[in-house]
Amino acid sequence: MNIEIEAFTRVEGNGGAEILIENGEVKDVKVKIFEGPRFFELLTLGRHYWDVPDLEARICAICYLSHSVASVLGIERALGVNVPEEITLLRELGLLGELIESHALHLYLLVAPDLFGYADAIRMASKHGEVVKEGITIKAFGNYIRELLGGREIHGINIKPGGFGRYPTIEELEQIESQCEALLRPARRVVNIFAEQEPLGATVQHYIATNEYLYGDKLIAEDGEKFDYLEHIEEKTLPYSFAKQSRYKGNIFMVGALPRVMLKHDMLTPMAKHFYEEHKEKLASGYVSFNNLAQAIELLYALEKAKEVAKTLLDKGIEGENVPIEPQEGEGIGYVEAPRGVLVHHYRIDEKGNIAYSNIITPTAFNHGIMELSLYEEARKRYGSSDETTFLQKLEETVRAFDPCISCSVHIVRL
Amino acid sequence: MMLKLGVFELTDCGGCALNILFLYEKLFDLLEFYEIKEFHMASSFKEHDTLDIAIVTGSVSTQRDLDLLHYARNHSNYLIALGTCATHGDVQASVEGKIRDKLEKVYGTKANPMKALDSTPIVQHVAVDYAMPGCPYDKDEIYQVLMNLAKGIEPPTKDYPLCVECKLNEYECVLVKRGIPCLGPITLGGCNAICVKSQLGCIGCRGPIPKEANPASEFEILKELGYDEEYLRRKFKTFARGELRW
Ligand code: SF4
Ligand code: SF4
Repeated sequence: MNIEIEAFTRVEGNGGAEILIENGEVKDVKVKIFEGPRFFELLTLGRHYWDVPDLEARICAICYLSHSVASVLGIERALGVNVPEEITLLRELGLLGELIESHALHLYLLVAPDLFGYADAIRMASKHGEVVKEGITIKAFGNYIRELLGGREIHGINIKPGGFGRYPTIEELEQIESQCEALLRPARRVVNIFAEQEPLGATVQHYIATNEYLYGDKLIAEDGEKFDYLEHIEEKTLPYSFAKQSRYKGNIFMVGALPRVMLKHDMLTPMAKHFYEEHKEKLASGYVSFNNLAQAIELLYALEKAKEVAKTLLDKGIEGENVPIEPQEGEGIGYVEAPRGVLVHHYRIDEKGNIAYSNIITPTAFNHGIMELSLYEEARKRYGSSDETTFLQKLEETVRAFDPCISCSVHIVRL
Repeated sequence: MMLKLGVFELTDCGGCALNILFLYEKLFDLLEFYEIKEFHMASSFKEHDTLDIAIVTGSVSTQRDLDLLHYARNHSNYLIALGTCATHGDVQASVEGKIRDKLEKVYGTKANPMKALDSTPIVQHVAVDYAMPGCPYDKDEIYQVLMNLAKGIEPPTKDYPLCVECKLNEYECVLVKRGIPCLGPITLGGCNAICVKSQLGCIGCRGPIPKEANPASEFEILKELGYDEEYLRRKFKTFARGELRW
């Protein structure tokens, strides 16, 4: 007998799960990614590097800006381009905006209904309008930053190799600074809401993240040693999924908010660090559902950090100069922390500036293994002791904890 | 009476469905007229029911997509193809080659257990009542359309090129002034020329203007500016498959 979760809801993209039951016991769980393939690596082949980040943005709407930045970083490394601090800071600000937008969407609109017992945020709003409203306000602010730096709320084309199309003005940066301050209070409340979540799924044994908080030139795991993805990560194809699965030194691992706060809590801002300390034990237990608590802590981090970055930029003033680029042959990898975890864009560029090779690995693809394991463990624990509705509900919650972004998971290739 | 609304997502980036949530408070205005019966990105609630309006986003890229599209069509009175994936196939439809070869390049096997298809827009498979392109579309546009429909008014469609919006905003023409390849002259307006606001050329994400596009002359202009034919060919078809001929 098999139990089928036809389609996960309140997640981005199309995926489901099959739970295989044999002799009254859960034997296996398959997470099926049936979102169709979109062939992004083939799409970018032969295209001029300048146009590529705009196309890669289309991989995923929730984290388009992470894709643009990862793409730009990969391209700049391939072409040997170094950008000044101003441009790095502005990109970081964009990524922080995306973290705010994405975490607020996930926590308030997609997960909170589970905690309050509703099918969605719209229904939840009838009784808990305040919470939903706060969520929407924070999310809209994240989008404002994305629009400012990225050019649009979704799929902007303002983030370019060597700089930006348009640079923000002083007034716009001041606006960011003051808004961040105002939103810190409601964001503190969301940490308290999510501190109450129950442990679900597997306990994570290996964490992977980039070496800096939101991007980096290398990856790190628990041992802190820096590495390139090709050194320790392997991908394999599955017959029942358009997403491949990855292993780190042969093991299942996790990327995302929980790995970030566990590996990089030293880099957190004061208020975020305070909450990390307060919930340290819970987070360290490694249950995947505490990824949501980590996201709530990161929401605070992003607001505090965006304020700090905006202030630094205001103190320095905006030059608004792009770095000129000469096309040349080269190879480069861009590592970015998308809201859901490590994102890799790897390119080879030919002497004319066209893409000769590209490989993209997205967070949901990295997490596919741990997601399956989590469903398996949760299903084993509950099968036979929970009624079917609760059983399925808890499995969905387990998947949702990852904030999976299925549309982005299916474009993983090594050509 | 409340209208029954369903949002269906085929293969895509999620942006067109997400953009509905980005209406924020305006979404609650819409909910005074609409009851959401299906919207899997936003809700776990689902009711198999006949719908007044079905919104379909994404392109047909698997057999499952096709089945879901037929389900949406057969269960609705009015179907909106929302976003360039749905109206023109978007970027995935511009990837050339047969599906088996593409699968082999990406997954290392020609086997197709998940029944992938070559990506095509939904307008190629079913009759649609309203098509709104944009990758993603402008969210105020869908708000207006849904408000119109709630009041029983057939919503108007846009038919002017992007350049019009550039002029209205008094943006400097990036094509003429800076020689940047901008697809504004042949692209359907409606986004308020937002990319040109960033001083970048339009990449054509809203697809070509239905009737009057003159891609041949745009092609010639850009060729004279020194862009090579292959570059332009790819650029033209990114969002519009083979629709722009010259
Ligand atoms: S049209 Fe663009 S934004 Fe909309 S779903 Fe397709 S890729 Fe995403
Ligand atoms: S300017 Fe062009 S590319 Fe940009 S949003 Fe409008 S139609 Fe799309």
